Amino acid sequence: MKKGVIVLIVIAVIAVALVSGVIGRYNQLVALEETVDGRWAQVENQLQRRADLIPNLVNTVRGYASHEEQVFADVAEARSRLLGAQTPEAQIQANQGLDTALGRLLAISEAYPELKADTSFIRLQDELAGTENRIATERMRFNESVQTWNTTIRQFPTNLLANLMGRQAKPFFEAAPSAMEVPRVEF
Amino acid sequence: MSFNRSMVQTSVFLILVLSVSSLAAAAFPAKQGFVNDYANVIDQKSRAEMQLLGEKLWTEQGIGLAVVTVATTAPMDPKEYTTALFNEWGVGGPEDSGLLMLLAVSEGAIEVEPGYGLEGALPDGLVGAVIDQEGLPHFKKQSYGPGLSAMVVAYANILAGEEFEIVEERDEARGWFVSFVIFILIFMMMRRGRRYPPGGSGGYGGGGPGRTVIVPRMPRGGGFGGGIGGGSRPSGGFGGGRSGGGGAGRRF
Repeated sequence: MKKGVIVLIVIAVIAVALVSGVIGRYNQLVALEETVDGRWAQVENQLQRRADLIPNLVNTVRGYASHEEQVFADVAEARSRLLGAQTPEAQIQANQGLDTALGRLLAISEAYPELKADTSFIRLQDELAGTENRIATERMRFNESVQTWNTTIRQFPTNLLANLMGRQAKPFFEAAPSAMEVPRVEF
Repeated sequence: MSFNRSMVQTSVFLILVLSVSSLAAAAFPAKQGFVNDYANVIDQKSRAEMQLLGEKLWTEQGIGLAVVTVATTAPMDPKEYTTALFNEWGVGGPEDSGLLMLLAVSEGAIEVEPGYGLEGALPDGLVGAVIDQEGLPHFKKQSYGPGLSAMVVAYANILAGEEFEIVEERDEARGWFVSFVIFILIFMMMRRGRRYPPGGSGGYGGGGPGRTVIVPRMPRGGGFGGGIGGGSRPSGGFGGGRSGGGGAGRRF
């Protein structure tokens, strides 16, 4: 009888330890996932900020180079695709499309010295370059949080719990080669 | 024996870890105050002006200023270096209201980065315009101290709520033409009003091509000495400030 009680106590202690361990891991995973989501929201903010700058930029360029309609149409389309993208993956892809279209828009300015010297164009380019730097910073912070998440859910024993919760590794936000070159205002 | 060995291994490991972390910390120099002239390119007068304005910004508005010059930011890109240094130093304190100006001599780069808290007051376009109008004319002549000082004055005025006038025309010929016309007009007025004692018509001249910005300077004199060696004045405004990598930069 006494032996049975001891066994029961031992089992209870082990069960409590297990449950509290599981709760701790669970909370850790929840906190990590929240961090990843929060960082992604910051990336989204900056993507949105860039999208907001584009109409002004296009209008300024149009004032000097009105016949480059194809480029303007491409930029407008890439922008609306970014704004319409729902999942992070789709947003990353749409953002790369916008990078390409914007690169062509800025290349136009090379052919128009008056546009290049326009103060409002210079200011918009500063805003754009600043926003791309912000995107780069927030992307780095997001990727750091994704790395922590991915490492944690693959480690034993958290991987068992993550499987149970149906959580998987999250994709990094990798910069497209064209996005690596931040446009600079050169003098 | 095996105990000794594990002790040795542990201490080797610890030394490695410690040296790695101190290496990482050594990538950035220790802050000295509002003006951190590691490249030794700032003259005493500009340094004193910036020091004064830095103290004024910090005590009156809680804005942390850091002016930094380095010989090079290698292996980092100047912009990356600026963002990393900003967050390492925590410029601007917990309100994130910091402003970091970094000049890298061998890259010929000037980067200005506001913290999260100042992004509204200092949008990137304005940050860039101040560099163009106040900094670059000096930097192109390798006169780094006066350029940085003029920029600090302009940013301090903007942060105090003043308008910064952006020069619309960069057309030099037109600027000279306007100054010429003004000169002729003044000359004619002087001739007409000869009976007035001469000397009342000073004050023109200067006014380079196309520059209409008149930024009030700090009163000269007074305020020199002190603060130059650091240490004697509080270097407020550091710790906890964050930036998101905004701002503007130029190559000169």
